[in-house]
Amino acid sequence: MVFHKRRWLVRRLFFNHEQIRTMSRVKRRTTHPPYWHVLKNNQRTDEKISSDNLRFVQEVIQDKYKNKSPIKGSDLDIEKTEWDPKTKRSGVIARNIGVQHMWEKDGKKVICTVLHVLDNHVIRYVPPEEYAKSVIGAKMFKNRKPLGCLVVGAEASNPERFTRQYCSLFDEVGLLPKKRLARFIVTPNAALPPCTPLTAGHFVIGQAVDVYGKTIDYGFQGVVKRWGFKGGPASHGTTKFHRRGGTIGTGRDKARVWPGQKMPGHMGSERRFNRGLKIVRINMKYNIIYVKGTVPGPTNSIVQIFDTALPRRKFTEAPPHPTYFPPEDGTLPQEDIWDSSLHVFGSPSISV
Amino acid sequence: MLRRAVLQTFRQGLAQSFFKRYAVSLTETTVTHQPIETSDEAGEKSVPTQKTGDESGNTVVVAPPEFRFIYPEFLPDPAMERRNRLREKLERMDMLQRRSVIEIPEFYTGSIMAVTVADANSPNKFARFVGICIQRGGSGLRAWFILRNVVDKQGVEILYEMYCPLIQKIEVLRLERRLDESLLYLRDALPEYSTFPMDMEPERRLNNSVVPINPLKVKLRPRPWLERWERQNLQGVEDLNLPQRFYDRAEKVAKPWEKYDLMLHYRKTIPAEEQEKIFAEVHSQLQQQELKRKLRRRRGSDNEY
Repeated sequence: MVFHKRRWLVRRLFFNHEQIRTMSRVKRRTTHPPYWHVLKNNQRTDEKISSDNLRFVQEVIQDKYKNKSPIKGSDLDIEKTEWDPKTKRSGVIARNIGVQHMWEKDGKKVICTVLHVLDNHVIRYVPPEEYAKSVIGAKMFKNRKPLGCLVVGAEASNPERFTRQYCSLFDEVGLLPKKRLARFIVTPNAALPPCTPLTAGHFVIGQAVDVYGKTIDYGFQGVVKRWGFKGGPASHGTTKFHRRGGTIGTGRDKARVWPGQKMPGHMGSERRFNRGLKIVRINMKYNIIYVKGTVPGPTNSIVQIFDTALPRRKFTEAPPHPTYFPPEDGTLPQEDIWDSSLHVFGSPSISV
Repeated sequence: MLRRAVLQTFRQGLAQSFFKRYAVSLTETTVTHQPIETSDEAGEKSVPTQKTGDESGNTVVVAPPEFRFIYPEFLPDPAMERRNRLREKLERMDMLQRRSVIEIPEFYTGSIMAVTVADANSPNKFARFVGICIQRGGSGLRAWFILRNVVDKQGVEILYEMYCPLIQKIEVLRLERRLDESLLYLRDALPEYSTFPMDMEPERRLNNSVVPINPLKVKLRPRPWLERWERQNLQGVEDLNLPQRFYDRAEKVAKPWEKYDLMLHYRKTIPAEEQEKIFAEVHSQLQQQELKRKLRRRRGSDNEY
């Protein structure tokens, strides 16, 4: 067994040709959204409107979307549902704003990813029976009990940059249109009414989360970077064989190139989940979550955070269910919450 | 405590304070404006804040321009792909928290420092190392510096992370600068240039407003070296006495156009306006911490009598 130091480059040493053949024809990336999505971004770029009309348009927008007061827990009519270990809660849309180094109480350095929970609001809840009739829902729940779906939006922005059809998605809730939408599969007892805000307090310190993101887009890459091939010698008379793939088949078995043969091609920009990442610090004031480890995607990219699917790291006691609401009596929550294993920066130096 | 200074623009003040603090015999004439007045107390390097007015007439507090030399790790990594203002702000808050616990003094490459870290394998659980700072880098909480010393005829270099909580104390025994920003050539120099006694006492400076530049020219050992020092335009080494072919090859390989490449330098640095904003954010807390430390030191010296 060859020992590969750079694990991220190696996919598998011995791979199952049958499995690769079925997966190699699956389209892994598209540049267009699914056909049932409405057109999102405003296509008209050079519209000649007079400045008066522009001002009028902005007034209309302000009138339509003003008077959005923060929603308290008591305003929404949430049914008081019980949490049980099989509940699936909503997830949250966040932005990966970078990496910060922190230290544990024994002096060991940990790399923590800083995730900024954007202004998430629930747009609508799709009950299980209805969701099972949709294209994706039918595929997902073909042979099992259907679950509901929460549509959550993040990052409110100017309605002028979106099309009318896209803005109409938010008309029911009366929210400013969001730049990013996501669907989270939830059990019916974790359903949330529209317009519910989701914040960093939705998560608990020390819990494990799964983070979904699209990996860094490397573009068209050669075989050495993409698959970890060794290439050829740099000198000693090598003619034009420094970073090439070499042989692509035996010539005897099947007498052709097998599907799934590793070759140069587009690398990155793929859906990936990093599972079981521990939350080590939550900043309630700025809505920031520090997660131990790294998440897929470059800095300043959007990711989705869920409660973990790993069976041994799930919740044993109830988290904020269905989501976190600030306390009614106006007391502010603790601004900066740290995990017990981390060294807090304002505390005295560690002495072993 | 704080004295009013003359209204200056940021860049003027920058140039002026640069020449004032890092006094060296330069061939060009130094800028002769009114100098920034420093207080006379020993050990104090704080400079009065300059208050510039903006159009609306409100005073905007601006940090003294020396801050970018004293606290260079507060400036973020200039690579645009990885920058985010919110994360940098949070990191700076954490840095200030750590600085409230431990004093991270002003130092430069060429200063001789002593660092005490908590070490489980040491007999008294603390390990103290004295050395000359040969390089410093990193930004934010990842800021680091390398100390070099020769112990029992063995050259030893240790990289310390400035904000690591295992560090108990950082002392600057001799605050000075050298002619180069990076002293990695000490690895190829004669060992006496890197040897410093482990029980060295901190040296007190008479003139606190200026950081002296040590114009020492170091003698290198004969070749082979770890790097091609003749290609690096070092000021702090003696004449290398190499055959002419080395210098010819260095000329061929050199990139003399880089000093005219404005975009290259722009991409490697943080713009002055942003630097102003960043230091304006942190300077009040830093000054408060300095004042508290001074009071503690004075109270400590009073208690001795």
